[in-house]
Amino acid sequence: MSVPSPPQRSSRRDSGGSEDHDADAVAALRAAFARLQPQGSGAWNFLAALTHLSDRYSEYRPGASELSKLVASGQAVPGGAGPRRRRSRLSAADRAANSGPVATPELEWAMKQVVEAFRFLSARVAILEERAALEDVPVSGTPWLMPAQELGRWVEPVVAHLVASDPRGEVVHGDCGEGALLDALESAGIAAHGAEPRGTVALGALERGHSVSVCETADELSARSPASLGGVVLSGVVDRLPLPALITLLARVQRTLTPGAPLVVVVRTPQVADDEPLGVVARDLLGPRALHARTWALLLERAGFVSGAPLVADPASDDRRLVLSSVRR
Amino acid sequence: MSGVHQFVPLLHRGDAVGRHTLRLRDLFVARGVPSRIYVELVDPETVTETELATAYPGHSEPGDVLLYQFATASAMAPWLAARAETLVVNYHNITPPELLAAWDNQVALGQLRAGAELRTLAPRTALAIADSAYNNEHLVAAGFVNSVVVPPSAALGDDILGAAERVQRGGTGRGARWLSVGRVAPNKALHETVIALMVARAHRDPEATLLVVGKAAIASYDAALRRFVAEMGLDDAVTFAGHASDAAVAAAYAQADVLVVTSQHEGFCVPVTEAMAVGLPVVAYAQGALPEVLGAAGVLVDAVDPYGLASTIADLLEDPARCRELAAAGRRQLAALDLAGAGDRLVDLVCALR
Repeated sequence: MSVPSPPQRSSRRDSGGSEDHDADAVAALRAAFARLQPQGSGAWNFLAALTHLSDRYSEYRPGASELSKLVASGQAVPGGAGPRRRRSRLSAADRAANSGPVATPELEWAMKQVVEAFRFLSARVAILEERAALEDVPVSGTPWLMPAQELGRWVEPVVAHLVASDPRGEVVHGDCGEGALLDALESAGIAAHGAEPRGTVALGALERGHSVSVCETADELSARSPASLGGVVLSGVVDRLPLPALITLLARVQRTLTPGAPLVVVVRTPQVADDEPLGVVARDLLGPRALHARTWALLLERAGFVSGAPLVADPASDDRRLVLSSVRR
Repeated sequence: MSGVHQFVPLLHRGDAVGRHTLRLRDLFVARGVPSRIYVELVDPETVTETELATAYPGHSEPGDVLLYQFATASAMAPWLAARAETLVVNYHNITPPELLAAWDNQVALGQLRAGAELRTLAPRTALAIADSAYNNEHLVAAGFVNSVVVPPSAALGDDILGAAERVQRGGTGRGARWLSVGRVAPNKALHETVIALMVARAHRDPEATLLVVGKAAIASYDAALRRFVAEMGLDDAVTFAGHASDAAVAAAYAQADVLVVTSQHEGFCVPVTEAMAVGLPVVAYAQGALPEVLGAAGVLVDAVDPYGLASTIADLLEDPARCRELAAAGRRQLAALDLAGAGDRLVDLVCALR
């Protein structure tokens, strides 16, 4: 092959914000993709141990062909160089590199048992992963039917409420959109983090330097330690999740909040459900929406919260949202 | 009469190794050298072209040369290593297992085993042939002492070459049409292309689209990629064409504005040569064999940075003169690679061992 011409290189980039913010945005998007890996992280996981052990100690099992059976059985190769034992599969260099101290027959026997145990565990893991995959319903188009909505004029009372509660820990905003509430919270000196599953929306918040995970709020809360958050604000997400998922979400909020920490829920009210801009398809997919204030009070109580007076109760306004406050028991 | 017989675990008519194997078989036969293709497992589509490897001992002749097309783990490796005939290894690269482990442990395990098999074959091999200098480095590291570089033969099909005459690029009033061609597998890192597309749509080209042509090589990665596209809100911007006929691939090249390659690992990358053949600009991350194969016929982005990739693509497509320069450079690079003569060069090298 001829020597190729020198390649042309490019280093130019358009920055959405600062390069640091762009790098953070890329890291968040890669993390969103990495969550979809079925077998753990990109690093070697437990099956890697099987890989290495079986290569050194177990029988040759490359596939289900006649040829592989012939090789595995160590039978003579007709017309070839004679019978081969499995151990000769590895070169002398490999053996030297991998062997360390000389293995005793007892150790080899024991390691074979370990390999078999790994094989058994591997089969079990495969079954469990298959079951988990069935329960892990991919995001349908539903979240995208409802555009990410900023809190608009409700930002101010929500921030005032959170400042007054003096949060001891980070505040998480579920469905943070492009980060208007995060802006206001950070301006008020409150550490805030957003969760936003719509990548194209989250990108705006990330490029402005906000700390945002590109994922569902429930997933973000699952990754948090118990009693680690100083507050949670839920908006948007509470309008699009079906009731069972909403109950699960509230349970996760309860687990992650410190005792006495505030939960603010910004929710649509039922009086306007029939003419809300979601349209017929979205309402059909979402199920009966929205919940009455009394239903919300019941849900919050059952989830371990003590409801306070609504921060805003103005269903006749243009925004037609109800802002509920509560604290973790 | 002695011959040169090829061994390949599975012969697919549609993939690069399969085309290469069939092309070589035809070249050997055209020179009057008996040549058959032996497989470990039969592909129904190519059953008339192959025989099971277990049948070879009944056909062997003194002086036979066995040519092993190596791209994955197979019982063929230890079986061939144990035989007495002159052995040639044609190496097409092993995907590093660490790129696959999170997606399919069994496949990753197979690749790890393939690495061990490659090292086992090294002392038994009379000649090793790599399809790129990048791959040749792997051979040297595995212990092969006699190796040469010859690019894959039959890399460019007639449909692709015909597409060069039907190019319809340069449309206005629409977004750029990005194209990805190749297997949908973790080492191809198509999620990086999707992230770059998202950045491009946010900052430079809100109407940019991506067409992904290629079969799902790792099902879990393919499923994750489709889900990622949906969750990022790019359903309307990304199209998965799946496995496509040669004619459909050629049509995709003819209608695209740029071939985007974000692979983390490439042993050669045939789609890059196809793009060069049709005058399609290529923008790629500088990974694996891509700098060597692409040469000056495209733009390499050094850092794996979706912002840099997106801006490079946008800048390039706004500069038609630059695109024409790259197309001309592509023709020169293809001439330098001499893919048309690659098969004959390989056949010369192997026949000299008979």
